[in-house]
Amino acid sequence: MLGLGLSLTWGLLRVINLANFALAFLGAYLTYQIATVSGVDPMLTLVVIVPGFFAAGVALEMGFLTFKINELTSLIVTFGLTVILESVIQWFWTADFRRLESPYARMSLKVGPFFVGLSGLLGLAAAAVLTLATWAWLRWSYLGKAARASAQDGPMAGAFGVDRRRLALLLAGLSSAYAGVAGLFIALNHTLAPSQIYSWIGVVFAAVIIGRLGNALGLLGAAVFIAASEALTMAVTAPGWAPLVSFTLLILILLLRPEL
Amino acid sequence: MLEITHLEVAHGEAVAVRDVSLGVRPRELVTVVGPNGAGKTTLINAIAGLLPIRAGSARLDGDDLASVPAHELCRRGIALVPEGRRLFPAMTVEENLEIGCYAAAARRMRGESLERVYATFPILRERRRQLAGSLSGGQQQMVAIGRALMARPRLLLLDEPSLGLAPSIVDQVFAVIAGIHADGVAVLLVEQNVVQAFAIAARAYVLEQGRIVAEGAPADLTRDPRIREAYLGQQ
Repeated sequence: MLGLGLSLTWGLLRVINLANFALAFLGAYLTYQIATVSGVDPMLTLVVIVPGFFAAGVALEMGFLTFKINELTSLIVTFGLTVILESVIQWFWTADFRRLESPYARMSLKVGPFFVGLSGLLGLAAAAVLTLATWAWLRWSYLGKAARASAQDGPMAGAFGVDRRRLALLLAGLSSAYAGVAGLFIALNHTLAPSQIYSWIGVVFAAVIIGRLGNALGLLGAAVFIAASEALTMAVTAPGWAPLVSFTLLILILLLRPEL
Repeated sequence: MLEITHLEVAHGEAVAVRDVSLGVRPRELVTVVGPNGAGKTTLINAIAGLLPIRAGSARLDGDDLASVPAHELCRRGIALVPEGRRLFPAMTVEENLEIGCYAAAARRMRGESLERVYATFPILRERRRQLAGSLSGGQQQMVAIGRALMARPRLLLLDEPSLGLAPSIVDQVFAVIAGIHADGVAVLLVEQNVVQAFAIAARAYVLEQGRIVAEGAPADLTRDPRIREAYLGQQ
């Protein structure tokens, strides 16, 4: 889901939004806060987080459009935003580890001989559903076709009636909303600490690039591929070797198939 | 329906079109000819809203186009077949055509428009699931014309539709343009292929170094010795 947001804005809007990672953690902490204080089901926090994050993404893209930000400067600006958001998170929630106690964490399903945590499974299902929905939307809807056309030749798409500003705002909003949903599942499945933001960047970038920019199905395949190779590495060697795998894969693929 | 007065268009500091006045009446086929670098593409791109107008005005049915955002123009009835075709190469033929009818009014006629385009260019029906970037130059030109027709324009802007095509394809493209005009669409055709353009146009303008240097009926222009020599290769 993190990758989906990154892939959408990178492939279709030419903005590399690192702040997506920080936004996801902000979402995770907000989920933690709302669920812990009010005691509601963590899933219900999406009702607030998804529209809120959508609006935040739209506001952010408005800023990018006003300042005519390109790929490289977007990387720098959103890195700055990430650091700011990390500080904000640290200010409110301190650098201590936080753990959301939810009913989902204790439930597990027996699939054949394996026990699978329910929250992990829900996360996987949500990611698959969102990715497939995004893929179908890009492939078949008029807006999705307009988004692809704009990425290939913006002025020509504009000449046939595509309002590129509104489209960009919509895509940026969607991308942030995905980060919000990703945040929920980070909160459900992981122990939270502000510095964890950076540990996600490598593997998500690898998935986005291997899956090809703006290609939702490719992303899903790449994510599964990377997760499987990391799990295999952890099983065969030590867990510390796992991050090596995604980067090695990324470098290998860039070397062998740079046109991707 | 299109009225251009004292138009000036620039790329940054370089003025490419200056003091150009021309008009296209409803259902009229008008051509603008001239050598490479005369400002023909700049002129047509400014009308299509791809370049800003620096001075003078372009009016469509009396409305100043400078105040109309580019994505509104096709709703007003203008469609462009740009120089170099500028298809969406990673999308299929049919998806390219569908972008042509993106505007709401044109979208309602999608099925009928698609049938018309496929009837005009049967090869595109066979290739409709193929990526536009993988087609031959002639077929890509057909997609570019088809995409513009999907918008159901009242004024069709064509920029060098014969550029880089085999002679037999060029004949086919000009026959299609004449057919579109016969269906009641006004056409502004920018061309270097003066013989073919003059054959189908009612009126013609000659553009050199950003200025209109001659205008009139093609038959009259062909009698001008200077134009004969420069554009028709005859003494």
